[in-house]
Amino acid sequence: MAYKILVVDDSATMRALIKRTLTMSGLEIERLCEAGSGKQALDLLTKESVDLILADINMPEMNGIEMAEQVLANPATCRIPVVVVSTEASQTRIQELKTIGVKGFIHKPFTPEQIRDAVVEILGACHAEHV
Amino acid sequence: MNLNPLRRKCFLKQVVDISDAKVSSNPEDTLITYSLGSCIGVSAYDPVCKVGGMLHYQLPSSKQDAPGGTVRNPLMYADTGMEIMLKKMFSLGAEKKRIKVKIAGGAQMLNDNDFFKIGKRNYTVIRQLLWKNGMFIDGEDVGGDAPRTLSLAIQDGTVTVKSRGEEKTL
Repeated sequence: MAYKILVVDDSATMRALIKRTLTMSGLEIERLCEAGSGKQALDLLTKESVDLILADINMPEMNGIEMAEQVLANPATCRIPVVVVSTEASQTRIQELKTIGVKGFIHKPFTPEQIRDAVVEILGACHAEHV
Repeated sequence: MNLNPLRRKCFLKQVVDISDAKVSSNPEDTLITYSLGSCIGVSAYDPVCKVGGMLHYQLPSSKQDAPGGTVRNPLMYADTGMEIMLKKMFSLGAEKKRIKVKIAGGAQMLNDNDFFKIGKRNYTVIRQLLWKNGMFIDGEDVGGDAPRTLSLAIQDGTVTVKSRGEEKTL
């Protein structure tokens, strides 16, 4: 199965890093989309369907938490797993993310292996659920 | 003494010295390197064609040794050592996308002068090298202040690290 993954981060460098890691990961990738803010991501999701979203928290226009809340509240997108990639790693924040239904959390700075392992695990679990 | 030839079969230890690399496709071989302090031992294994390699490098970059010139022992450095080891593995049928890399070492030894931070630099450079080549680190035991022994069984790719009497599989 080939996957479509959306990377949401206001830093173009960070988006490029994550996209390169995903390309290296051995996963079959159909398309890697990117957005520079939560709002851009939501706009993109009206036109594109994706299998996974990797999103930062602190972004202009709309942060990653607001974006995740809207994605997970929308019946059209609520089945897309959201993984947050952020420097904000307090227990309060992680609990908040779990409460809204975020599937995973990766702390910045991350190693490429952390991104690969989280994505492979989550996509693998989702694929198994839908088989 | 056990004279039964079937029961005498044992795995052959191929010792990788300091500033050395070995590659093998013999399933009876175990590549092993001792005395990893600030040095880093790199184990690379292709599970499909069962080709393995091990490098024990001392320093991060050959460019600091001989800028623009000939390096005396390329296996002393991460950059030139990795290139040589991987090329040998490729010649035996290994493919980059399949290779599992595991590393150990990069310690800050108690008798080291902290000034040069060789262990940390050795670790940083292997990360950079692998990233540039699109390869991941699939297991690591790095840092701290303990010496390590790293071994790779060619038969199944099992990588073991021994340190201060304790052994673990990466």
